[in-house]
Amino acid sequence: MKVTLAMKPGPRSFIPIEAESIVPKNFLAGTDLAVWRGNRELRLDEVFSVSVEGDADRPEDVEVVLSGDDTFRLKRVGEYMDGGKITVLGDIGMHCGNFMSGGTIEIHGNADGWLGREMTGGTILCRGDVADYCASGYRGGRKGMKGGSVEVFGRAGDFLAESIAGGTVTVHGDAGDMAGAEMHGGTLIVHGDCRRPAANMKTGSCYVYGTAQGMLPTFAKNGTVQHEGRTLIHFTGDIANRGKGNLFVKGYKYLD
Amino acid sequence: MIVKDAVCPFCGCLCDDIEVEVEGNRVVAVANACELGTTKFMCEERLKGPILRDGDGWKEITYDEAIRYAADTLLSAERPLLYGWSGTHGEAQCVGVHMAELIRGVIDNTSSVCHGPSILAIQEVGHPGCTLGVVKNRADLVIYWGSNPIDAHPRHLSRYTRYADGFFLENAFRDRKVIVVDIRRTQTANIADEFVQIKPGGDYAVLSALRAIVQGKTETIPRTVAGVTREQLVRVANLCKGAKFGAVYFGVGLTMTRGKYKNIRNAIELVSELSRHTKFTISAMRGHYNVYGSNEVNTWMTGYPFGIDFSRGIAFYNPGETTAVDILARKECDAALIVGSDPAAHFPRRCLEHLADIPVIQIDPYPNATTAFCNVQIPVAVTGIDAVGTAYRMDGVPIRTRRVLSTDYPSDEEVLLRMYTLMQGAR
Amino acid sequence: MNELLIKNACVIDPLRGINAETMDIAIRDGRIVEEVSGAAEVIDAHGALTLPGGIDSHTHICGTKVNFGRYMSPEDMRAGRTPRRGPLHATSGYSVPTTYGNSYRYSVMGYTTLLEGAMAPLEARHTHEEFTYTPLQDTMANVLFDGNWGVMEAIRDGDIKRVAAIIAWTLRAVKGFGVKLTNPGGTEAWQWGKNVSCIRDPVPYFEVTPAEIIRSVVEANELLHLPHSVHLHCNNLGTPGNYTCTLGSLGLIPDLNRKRQTLYATHVQFHAYGGSGWRDFCSKSEPIARFVNMRPQIVMDMGQVMFGKTTTMTADGPMEFNLYRLHHDKWSNHDVELETGSGIIPVIYRRKNLVNSIMWAIGLELALLTKSPWQCLLTTDNPNGAPFVRYPEIIALLMSKRYRDAEFATVHPDTAARVPLPAIERELDWYEIAVMTRAGQAKALGIQDLGKGHLGPGAEADIAIYPLRIDEVDPSTDYRKVIEAFGRTEYTIKRGRVVARRGECLVDGSNATFWVRPKVSDAYDMGKDPDFIEKFDRYYTVRMRNYPVQEEYLNRNRCIETEAAI
Repeated sequence: MKVTLAMKPGPRSFIPIEAESIVPKNFLAGTDLAVWRGNRELRLDEVFSVSVEGDADRPEDVEVVLSGDDTFRLKRVGEYMDGGKITVLGDIGMHCGNFMSGGTIEIHGNADGWLGREMTGGTILCRGDVADYCASGYRGGRKGMKGGSVEVFGRAGDFLAESIAGGTVTVHGDAGDMAGAEMHGGTLIVHGDCRRPAANMKTGSCYVYGTAQGMLPTFAKNGTVQHEGRTLIHFTGDIANRGKGNLFVKGYKYLD
Repeated sequence: MIVKDAVCPFCGCLCDDIEVEVEGNRVVAVANACELGTTKFMCEERLKGPILRDGDGWKEITYDEAIRYAADTLLSAERPLLYGWSGTHGEAQCVGVHMAELIRGVIDNTSSVCHGPSILAIQEVGHPGCTLGVVKNRADLVIYWGSNPIDAHPRHLSRYTRYADGFFLENAFRDRKVIVVDIRRTQTANIADEFVQIKPGGDYAVLSALRAIVQGKTETIPRTVAGVTREQLVRVANLCKGAKFGAVYFGVGLTMTRGKYKNIRNAIELVSELSRHTKFTISAMRGHYNVYGSNEVNTWMTGYPFGIDFSRGIAFYNPGETTAVDILARKECDAALIVGSDPAAHFPRRCLEHLADIPVIQIDPYPNATTAFCNVQIPVAVTGIDAVGTAYRMDGVPIRTRRVLSTDYPSDEEVLLRMYTLMQGAR
Repeated sequence: MNELLIKNACVIDPLRGINAETMDIAIRDGRIVEEVSGAAEVIDAHGALTLPGGIDSHTHICGTKVNFGRYMSPEDMRAGRTPRRGPLHATSGYSVPTTYGNSYRYSVMGYTTLLEGAMAPLEARHTHEEFTYTPLQDTMANVLFDGNWGVMEAIRDGDIKRVAAIIAWTLRAVKGFGVKLTNPGGTEAWQWGKNVSCIRDPVPYFEVTPAEIIRSVVEANELLHLPHSVHLHCNNLGTPGNYTCTLGSLGLIPDLNRKRQTLYATHVQFHAYGGSGWRDFCSKSEPIARFVNMRPQIVMDMGQVMFGKTTTMTADGPMEFNLYRLHHDKWSNHDVELETGSGIIPVIYRRKNLVNSIMWAIGLELALLTKSPWQCLLTTDNPNGAPFVRYPEIIALLMSKRYRDAEFATVHPDTAARVPLPAIERELDWYEIAVMTRAGQAKALGIQDLGKGHLGPGAEADIAIYPLRIDEVDPSTDYRKVIEAFGRTEYTIKRGRVVARRGECLVDGSNATFWVRPKVSDAYDMGKDPDFIEKFDRYYTVRMRNYPVQEEYLNRNRCIETEAAI
């Protein structure tokens, strides 16, 4: 079953639309769903032109396609998603794929903050850039991502994979400040540069194929290793946090 | 007439030993207060009554009209923002929370542009702190990190630290060491026993290094960290471990620089580490006299200290998303109520552009930078001067302010309650 | 005139010796009366179990420490959120709910009176502000005196009357109800990062021992004729082998009061541990219960632990730091000048953890081994052992051996060798549960004469009607029904008005705050004592005139005046 949700053009507005109802399994029972624009509850068809092709009786067979100029306003799309596919033909707003446990979300544009927050499984692909807190946890320092994978083909903002405890995050471009902060499990791979990776890490593995700017002084150097055809410098830490994590970098610069 | 033990409604020190001399319902002299507090008591020019924007100018309207306008505007909004609150009393803040709940808006206070990061850090690792008197009576080591009390909290040094004698320190100036950590030599640095100058953006690295050194892992630390020599770091770590009671006070120099709440988290974790060796505490130098009260009120009523979004009926909290600067910069609100703060004086330009585009109601005694952005301004009595109410000091001690003048201005609480009553009628 | 008649109520009212009699209850203007007119509104209870409104004699719901528990825990706040609905405000939180959350959830369980277990005097205004937003229960607060400099100096000088005078001045100033000692002496030592090991270990500088503090404050409490006894959180909470310290503390207490106990020992589960370390950690509920059974001057509460997440919060700062070092999660601490302190950390009690399993058993054992239910009241030291919403499960565990056995089968397998619980056959009855959840509390707090905890004429019409017929339900086997019924009243009536019905609160209430003002002679009025004033001015950072909590902070002001013997 393919559900196409084309956002209706409307007066220019930036009031966010919370659309946690947009999850493949919800469409098994029809399209009579609600979304919220600020404090107003709206029917799905007040915001989208809705069309459905084919049918399905399990979430895995449902694909939801979101399109329109304003998809960046949509928050919480794919929250608690456990199967099926969501394709966003543009940018997506905050909290896409929160608590996701299965299925695939593919974003052709950029994703706003908290993409894949606290996800436990499934796959998120973002063809553009992601803002801050991709694959992170919630306020209060609880576990971030616990499983699944997030792959970003553009750049990532700050606090990428904060508190990650499992799963894999790969960023093909650069990442911002504090990538992998408070990491205690899982794997983070940044193909480009980033700042202060793996701050306060406990366990887990963080790879930086570019340069770690502002490298923290509390990682102990253990020589070099070969990794997928690259020579990387291996650190363990963060010793300030009695950590035993692994940080591999191509190059690094202290703020000395 | 002299009003004794008045409470100063300026900074988070909330000094409650002020003597205000009043003649003919006018403040003529202020004793014990610092310059900032004195100026506040001496009263700036206030607005006489509510004003409504009328083309390029203003027209005077009645309180009833202004309150009705405010209620209608906020009721019709899809995502109203209720911001400020640090410059008013707790009772008014409570009404604000009820209002946000009722109209399903976002309520946020000035923490989001000062110590919000401290709160986020506390939410990750907790907060070993104490009241100011504990420091005054016991601390033989005080560290000011990214804060400059001589400028921002002038009496902090004389009431609680550098010059304050306490029960266990008969000669504080001699028996108490003061360390200042900052990126530049501030005035406070000049009265310190030790000054640690850090390269901008280097606080986190220095804090991590100190944590490692306190654990005895000095050998991993490079020769210099963000401009600070390893020797100095070791000396500071030893001063900390050797103290009987150490107290860290940090300011926006730590919260609002690169890394933000991670800096504070690191500082708190340093203090937790030091607590294995001796007594150590850490506290934020809160700015507005009742910003902490705003956090307290929001917390007992909504569960969260700031940045609470009631759009969906329940309280949702996510600083970076539900905080005023973020909402304004992203143009995500369609009306605003500003109470007891002056965002136009502090917010980034992008935020002000949106503020100029939406209806704004300001409740404030004084014409200020935000006046230029608002459609209606409603003047009120000033808490601590002509209104009474509860304020929370930077260490969480609640104090009831005193009234030193009587005027006809309604209090923030009265104005907000009248708005709230109208809104209840409409819902 | 507002009249209400509850018909066909199956009443258990232990303070009046009524055990399951079917009767009508007449209410006029918030109080129980002999009869009402024919115009009264009628509620037919259809024989359902009807009890005086529940009273929690030791809970943490309002004030600086509780609010900090919320402040630091957004993850707990999001675990229990409800929207604004009708007259009800939004709520958040599971283990440390917002004030409205506490109030609504207690109300749904039939609770109408709450005692905040620990209020630091300097921050009392905060507690009272939160009381105002706890609308559906009457409230009162215990005031912390464990590290009070003036009190310790007076004890060192052997001047019990001065101890009493300082307590009297402070209670009046902060609008407090009772006298609380939390780890006496330990909270002062903690302001140097130290602790006291047990009752004979002197407090640094002040050179008084916890034993002296306990004895002196108990005497002073009785000189003031306070309604409640001293409320003690013993030294050494949570450490293996601490039961000897607990027995030592209880052994200090003479029988000084004919109407009530002389000491209320709180959350004794946390103080009934054997072993020399965590490896041989075991239950010592038996010696504690045996000791209490022989001493009518002691009343305790359980401090039951239930498995799951919660937040621990106590004035016992050093204990929280030790817990933090075990759990290494977040840790908050807040020392209060010249007075006391507090600590907070989140915890998860796990069935698979041997120590946690033993703790769970100990609380139940204390309740089952204490012969008189008047001497062991039901609490979790909310939220330290568990959030109060777990009370119905505890009631069911106490009433059903079968339920206990079923639960016991799920805990750590080594527990059986460390605790006496599996061998205890006792099942408490409805009457005993009524004692342990309201009548006992009213008596222990000394508020039965104020119309609390019973349904006699003149009493406050605080009533809980549970959807349960005790002639039809055998709690021993139908424990699920017991849990359900105690979790959700059919009606909760507060001051003669139905405030909750079948799990839904109906109104925004207005609570009353009870506080005590002991009348002392001029010679013992600390407000006029030069030495007291001078020290106050020198060492506190708040002016003495700004310290007292104004009566504006009391919503409904219920001042209890006592004639002190000083």
